[in-house]
Amino acid sequence: MFSRYGTLKNAMCGLGLVALLLLPFIIPTFWLRIFTGVSLWVGLALSWNMIGGYMGYISFGHGAFFGVGAYATALVMAHTPIPFGIAILISGTLTYLFARMVGYLTFRLNGTYFAIGTWAFAEMMRQVVLLLPFTGGSYGMRLPPVVNEGFFYYVMLALAVAVLIFSYFIFEKSSFGLKVKSVREEETAAQTLGIDVEKVKNQVFALSGLFPGVIGGAYAYWITYIHPDSVLGPLIADQMVVMVLLGGIGTVFGPVIGASLMYIGNRIIWVTWGDSSSYLVILGLAICFIIRFLPEGLIKLPIRESLRRIGVGARQAIPNEEVR
Amino acid sequence: MKNIGSKFLALLISIVIAAILVAGCGGSTKSTAEKRDYFKVGVITSLSGAEAYGGNVTRRGYELWAETVNKKGGIKLGEKSYQVKLIFADDQSDPNAGADAAQRMITSEKVDFILGPYTSGVTMAVAPILEKYKVPMITGSAESPLIWKQKFKYTFGTIPAVDLTGSQPLATLAKEVGSKPASIAILGVNDPFSKATAEAFKAAAEKEGIKVLKYDIVPAGTDFNPLISAIKGLNPDVLAVGGHEKEHMEIIKASKSLGFMPKVFLMHYGITTPDFIKNLGKNSDYVMGATTWTPDLNYKDAVFGSTKKYVEAAKIRYGSMPDYTEAACAATGQIFTAALAKIKAIPPLNEEQREKLVKALEEVKIDSTLYGPIKFATDGAWYHNNTGLKALTIQIMQGNQIIVGPKQVKLKDPVYPVPPMSSR
Amino acid sequence: MELIIQTLVNGLLIGGIFIMIAVGFTLAFGVMDIIDFAVGEWVMLGAFAAYWLQTLVHVDPLLFFPVIMLTFGAAAYVFQPVLQSVINIKHRSAALMALAFTFGLSTFFRGAALTLWGFNNRNIVTFLSDQSINILGITLPALRVAATVFAVIITIGFMVFLNKTKTGVAIRAAAENKTIAGLMGIDGQKVARTVYAIYAALTSLAGVFIGSIFSVNPDMGLRYTAFAFFVVVAGGMGSFAGAIAAAILLGLIASFVSVYVGGAYIFLILFLFLYFVLLFFSKGILGKGL
Repeated sequence: MFSRYGTLKNAMCGLGLVALLLLPFIIPTFWLRIFTGVSLWVGLALSWNMIGGYMGYISFGHGAFFGVGAYATALVMAHTPIPFGIAILISGTLTYLFARMVGYLTFRLNGTYFAIGTWAFAEMMRQVVLLLPFTGGSYGMRLPPVVNEGFFYYVMLALAVAVLIFSYFIFEKSSFGLKVKSVREEETAAQTLGIDVEKVKNQVFALSGLFPGVIGGAYAYWITYIHPDSVLGPLIADQMVVMVLLGGIGTVFGPVIGASLMYIGNRIIWVTWGDSSSYLVILGLAICFIIRFLPEGLIKLPIRESLRRIGVGARQAIPNEEVR
Repeated sequence: MKNIGSKFLALLISIVIAAILVAGCGGSTKSTAEKRDYFKVGVITSLSGAEAYGGNVTRRGYELWAETVNKKGGIKLGEKSYQVKLIFADDQSDPNAGADAAQRMITSEKVDFILGPYTSGVTMAVAPILEKYKVPMITGSAESPLIWKQKFKYTFGTIPAVDLTGSQPLATLAKEVGSKPASIAILGVNDPFSKATAEAFKAAAEKEGIKVLKYDIVPAGTDFNPLISAIKGLNPDVLAVGGHEKEHMEIIKASKSLGFMPKVFLMHYGITTPDFIKNLGKNSDYVMGATTWTPDLNYKDAVFGSTKKYVEAAKIRYGSMPDYTEAACAATGQIFTAALAKIKAIPPLNEEQREKLVKALEEVKIDSTLYGPIKFATDGAWYHNNTGLKALTIQIMQGNQIIVGPKQVKLKDPVYPVPPMSSR
Repeated sequence: MELIIQTLVNGLLIGGIFIMIAVGFTLAFGVMDIIDFAVGEWVMLGAFAAYWLQTLVHVDPLLFFPVIMLTFGAAAYVFQPVLQSVINIKHRSAALMALAFTFGLSTFFRGAALTLWGFNNRNIVTFLSDQSINILGITLPALRVAATVFAVIITIGFMVFLNKTKTGVAIRAAAENKTIAGLMGIDGQKVARTVYAIYAALTSLAGVFIGSIFSVNPDMGLRYTAFAFFVVVAGGMGSFAGAIAAAILLGLIASFVSVYVGGAYIFLILFLFLYFVLLFFSKGILGKGL
């Protein structure tokens, strides 16, 4: 009874992955670019979800890790012969250590204070990059241009899938994940159970800072031009938060859905109307409505029931089997 | 596990929906791209986001050109005329969105050429994509010297970079007024263009032997009152500001309320936009600036007839006086027209024709457009920038931009020192 | 010496404007437990209201400020139940949901303003524009003085209102402890609506002043959201006196840094300051926060 469901699930997984891998061969390059963007944001939303969803600490400063990663990759590639693949790993390591430091300082705070503390920190980073002599200040930085849509699609897809798998196994399937969740539910209780709460919090924050650093590096190489306002602006963290909330906070697939819908939605509206101040109106209303009427996110939409009704889901097959 | 599975299903379904959507969009564009008897022109500019104001100024210029050309039958190549169809994309003032827009223009819309962004940041992100697909672009706006140093083969610009024009007003002040200013304070907003402007002012002041008392680059959105107070204490002859109309407005207001009045304000860019003059009224008078164009110039023009006729058309269409960015954008289309006539290419253009178009753009020399003569540099630090234009010093007088320098072309003498704001 | 005093005065006068935003914002936080991301958009809408009064009705918007305040107060009073319903949602991170909701509101207001009124920068001219007072070589711009005087009057008026009136006492009780206040027969719902209305009215008034002093455009709000956060956090959340002190401090830091350190460093130093206040004085600079 489980095997049939499992087979179907595996088949679906495989099919989905194959479809994603074949995407560059079937869709026009413009849409491939959009899907590259989707993968980028899926990766970022999932990273934010680690601290925001599983740990329950809201960070408005995750844009800083993205930006620092982008600048680290740009600097490494501009001044050394180190290739892109290693450069983004260096960026990731750097933002991991950086997040450890920020976490060490900022975890003195909790709740709203933590949220605003991280925000203040991220704004500080933007000002620092604007002032430092070697980041180009407000002139930004340029990387050697490589325009290869397929390459960047696979890079971003690989990163997004990596974060997805990582989230799934670390937070849903491991004892570490259980620890994290118990800290989220009740810090004092977790402490009495012998969990080193501070250590767990710092670890999760650092992990959730690692991936944006790598993704930021890939972004810099993809767009070829970075500027403090484009990679360190407050909108980056804001979007991560909204995407996660939209899809469903603290779930594995919620952020994936939220990020995909929001990014594709933006681009479709923008293709349709050309001028997108109306996009802001629709986005604003959408956020308000979803939070008011669907606070658990789109993932809690009763899709499963609807699917069962039209006979798609596997659940329906199970009782039938038993009857037989 | 079951739970995860069904969520994955939901996810897959959303991907499938997205894929269907994509297929629909992809399919529809393919069918139209094959054969057409009009020019498809992409416009990538900032219609929303932080730079929406300037982006919409460029949009007006491009739009009026297309409308006027189409009214006259289109772009004439040999016996036949071809209509122009503009496809707009909003870069949201964000390099990433700009790059997406470029990709869409090129691979989905299959445009023949592109009229470019307002900001230099977006231009920098768009240019590498154009290099790959070999699609030429002329930006009627970006003034940052940064772009031309990159030597993009397919990117051209109509307005001379600010480091070519920014020095002109200081040269006018140093050489053509009764008593040369002795000192200057310079403020620049921390964005690529404004910072370059402030640097150009500083270099020019040092060259002309004007003492720089203060040079400060400030973040956008700062309160200018403390800065103006500090500058008031230094008492410079000139206050020069690199920024946009919003900052210039706020600085004039702050100066007036603090009773600070230098012998002249020098500001770039934005004092020629209608908003600046309309909002400040009398207080905008005597502000000095650099430009390459004013509505008073009279050049012959192939599309509009002359500068004067263009200005009238723009005033009727948009209800306000065009500034030099709007005019430069309106002239930009003509450069393509001239280059197309040279290679006699009819739409749709293929890659080989676009290569030829770039060659032709490098060779084209137009003696007169509504904006002035146009010729792109083919080497040096201003590669593919229209460096031929003379920079002008202007001063606002009774709400009009009047050319006050250089000597050969001035319409009135520069007023210096200017009467204080309180006694106008 | 003159410059030091002038810088001090500049700082105090801009601080006065921040007070106007801070007072309502702190109160709303205390009673409704909400960090309103849209605070800057109320400023923006207030400024636009003043602009349209000037352009369409041809009156001096500063003289008609009660009209603007009443309009915004009424609108907020009507709208508050929607916001309350979001705050009441049962959710693991309820505070975050409310914050995200106001983020959506802010995006909506900004988009709507941009779509309806376009991208232009506008100017408000009032009878105080261009006026200034000179005392011993120190220049006081009249508009900023007016804004600061207003802020002081409002603050005092508020103290009186909170301490001497029945509604005021109810508000304070609700801010202190909602459950007990409810048991004492205080209609929490009504108190929350009143507070939200007061907050919107004050913030829109700040918008009128800010629009007159600087300029008006649809994107102006975000900056004041940042300042409001700064003031409320540095002051200690929910602390009235702390918020006022923080507003003045914010003005002073900005003023002194731009004169004596360099304009480029203003925001870096402000955020550095905020970050360290948070880390080491998490109850605010006066130590009176929640």
